Amino acid sequence: MQLNINGQSLNASADPRTPLLWVLRDELNLTGTKFGCGVAVCGACTVHVDGQPVRACVTPVSALGNKQIKTIESLGTAENPHPLQAAWIAEQVPQCGYCQSGMLMAAAALLDNNPKPSDADIDAAMTNLCRCGTYQRVRAAIHRAAPAMQNPAIKQGGAR
Amino acid sequence: MKRRTWILSALGATGALVVGWGVLPARSRLGSPKLMLPTQGDVALNGWIKIAADGAVVLAMPRSDMGQGVHTALAMLVAEELDVPLGRVRLEQAGADSIYGNVAMLVASLPFHPLDSEGDKPAKIKLAEWLVVKIARELGINATGGSSSVADLWDPLRMAAATARASLVQAAAAAWKVPAHEITVREGLMQHPSGPSAHFGQMGPAAAGSTPGHISPKARQDWQLIGRSAARTDIPAKVTGQAQFGMDVRLPGMLFAAVRMNPVLGGAAPSMDTQAALAMPGVRQVVPLAPWGGGTGGLAVVAINTWQAQQAAQAVKVQWPAAGAEAADTARIRDKLLQALDTESGFTFHEQGLPQKAEQTATRRIDALYQAPYLAHATLEPMNCTAQVKDGKVEIWVPTQVPQMARAMAAKVAGVQEDLVNVHVTLLGGGFGRRLEVDFVGQAVQVAMACKGAPVQLVWSREEDMAHDFYRPMHLAKFQAAIDAQGDVSSLRIKSAGDAITPRWMARAAPHLSGPIDMPDKTTSEGLFDLPYGFLNQHMSHVATRSGVPVGFWRSVGHSHNAFFSESFIDELAVATQQDPLAFRLKLLKDAPRYAAVLQLAATQAGWGQPLPAGRAQGLALHKSFGAIVAQVAEVSVEQGQIRVHRVVCAIDCGTVVNPDTVAQQMQSSVAFALSAALFGQIDIVGGVVQQSNFPSYPMVTLSQTPRVETHIVPSTRQPAGVGEPAVPPLAPAVGNALFALTGQRQRALPLVA
Repeated sequence: MQLNINGQSLNASADPRTPLLWVLRDELNLTGTKFGCGVAVCGACTVHVDGQPVRACVTPVSALGNKQIKTIESLGTAENPHPLQAAWIAEQVPQCGYCQSGMLMAAAALLDNNPKPSDADIDAAMTNLCRCGTYQRVRAAIHRAAPAMQNPAIKQGGAR
Repeated sequence: MKRRTWILSALGATGALVVGWGVLPARSRLGSPKLMLPTQGDVALNGWIKIAADGAVVLAMPRSDMGQGVHTALAMLVAEELDVPLGRVRLEQAGADSIYGNVAMLVASLPFHPLDSEGDKPAKIKLAEWLVVKIARELGINATGGSSSVADLWDPLRMAAATARASLVQAAAAAWKVPAHEITVREGLMQHPSGPSAHFGQMGPAAAGSTPGHISPKARQDWQLIGRSAARTDIPAKVTGQAQFGMDVRLPGMLFAAVRMNPVLGGAAPSMDTQAALAMPGVRQVVPLAPWGGGTGGLAVVAINTWQAQQAAQAVKVQWPAAGAEAADTARIRDKLLQALDTESGFTFHEQGLPQKAEQTATRRIDALYQAPYLAHATLEPMNCTAQVKDGKVEIWVPTQVPQMARAMAAKVAGVQEDLVNVHVTLLGGGFGRRLEVDFVGQAVQVAMACKGAPVQLVWSREEDMAHDFYRPMHLAKFQAAIDAQGDVSSLRIKSAGDAITPRWMARAAPHLSGPIDMPDKTTSEGLFDLPYGFLNQHMSHVATRSGVPVGFWRSVGHSHNAFFSESFIDELAVATQQDPLAFRLKLLKDAPRYAAVLQLAATQAGWGQPLPAGRAQGLALHKSFGAIVAQVAEVSVEQGQIRVHRVVCAIDCGTVVNPDTVAQQMQSSVAFALSAALFGQIDIVGGVVQQSNFPSYPMVTLSQTPRVETHIVPSTRQPAGVGEPAVPPLAPAVGNALFALTGQRQRALPLVA
């Protein structure tokens, strides 16, 4: 089975019923996407499918076909960070860090759909769980990143 | 004040350790350079510091980072003394030598009253602390817990780095034939005014083996890093998905294992029919699991990926051994605790004045019964361990707070000597005390032994993690206050009941050191016996019970529920004597000025007593734990039947602060963690089976439910204290007291209800 992941066509041999999360982690060694609950509640496994945030732990790979899958590994790099990653560093958001890949992917989808989210928009979109309680800084970092996302080069995916 | 009871209980808590050890020789924690393995041209200068050829500093790191920022804070201490930028300090996992053991954590287990252990300590307390330091040094238990990492390593790390710096400067002075004191060090570069300069790497080999004398760490006024917020060094990898947690270990030929445990806590492995499971694609084998480390038995399925293993684990047909009539049941346990409070006298942790006499002459008595439920840790990264058993050697990769205990468990299961076990500590996706246990390490090694040399990653599902925790124990506490003719509180009596954690943990983690299971454990009464308020007559006791539920250390341990009990009851007393909760406390804190200052700071910053928006009320709480005093003011409302906390103002005195932004992070973290417990946290057990299974039945606060948290730090020159836990305990009573102010309803049980 061919999967379109981070702009690459990758071959996966897992049972088609296997959730995307485990194909990413166990077969393709893309371990940035995390397992937290397995029931689409905590959001640690959030990835983008055709630009929408999706919980990979309940998304069987058979449902994906040619759709474009984007994981934390392609959001940005240390050298060329996504505005959200830069904001995450500026606000010193992560603690243990385990939920942060999913948190960032959820935030990236939010800003793609809503370039200037209000607090209420952030409340509604950011349902990911963080056991360390980084929420206050997540909110601040999204607000900080929003203006940087207005940069046309970034909007067209230049930084990603 | 009578101190007899404290000394007796101190000996109770440490007595098992004291016996047979006697007085031990003092030893420095500097350590030998031989403790650090040389790699690629670096040179060890002592047991903590290596100098790389390029001038970088390599620090032996014995503590685990589970989010509390300790890898950054400890590196800051070393960078400060060596005058290198923080980014030039690299971490290398420390070995198993006793210099890396945690002394401060054990000393903190002594049940001394805080007002006695501050300032000039009585000789008996000094003696007891000295003895425990000796014992702790000898045992060398390397554990990350008790908010103790900076407190414990504050002196040893600064000394190690200062000594290394002096050796390097001495080597440069000899090479350049100049006096050492004329050499300056900036950003890792040594320079003499006459011209010569060298980075540390160039002098590493010449510095090795020298032992400069009369070293002392920098004076406070010379600090460049300590006390200023520094960016955490672990964050860049955590925002790019590159950080390596236990679950992220990947090895060639690795297999994946899922576990399915006996639903009954502590139950044994089942009899099984594995035919259907083994026929599933990618499934390699089914392994029956023994109950390791005080955990539960069950089975593991090994497959080519975690999901296949999970599916097959559910497909195994099992017959669990029947649960006995004594299987744990929370409703029954509550009744037993209540009965214990009524019929047993328990162990006295604190006694002063003549409480009985005050009670006899009282004009009024106020009684209250408080209770707190069992709680799960629910780290976001579920329990996991990767293991490989090959050629008589064991290798494990594990997110753990206790690497040596993990090693001992692996050795026991594999039947090898401990020195044949190599432990790699990964980052921890949360710890909160759950990773002070090594039950899952035993399972992983047992499964690896069945995998004939292949590495295997064993991962628990969320449901297994929730239902097989070592829970914060249920506790009940009975309060009795006497009010005299003047309307003042003349005595306070507290009796609590619940299972003691420490002796049970010792029995499963270090059985060779453990004492009787019911010996006095400070954690049962902390937050009750050690109140700072100047009630003339006090009596605090605890009845240790045996409920049969596996119990463990949960972020802030006994303080987490006892502060709710005590600070809610203090509020009740203020109300009963018609006083403002702030003024009432301040009046009782005349002999505890540090506490009063913290409380006053929080109240001032929160605007205590000033008008609030309609439908809102404030509540406050004050609590000391892990050496730090925290006061919180919570502002709450009830909206559509839901408790809503809008704002929490925190004031903290945690002694000298290393990284102020980490303190703010930990205040925010503790508030969210404690609020989840205060609003939602409850584990119920029926017939030995935990009823909650995943986040829908054990919820935690989300972003939209999180209050704005403000942090105010009291400047201090005292020794550093903890910050990872002390802001957890005051949150529940601050919210509960605010609810009382709002609704007039006093809440005496957790979780709180709207």
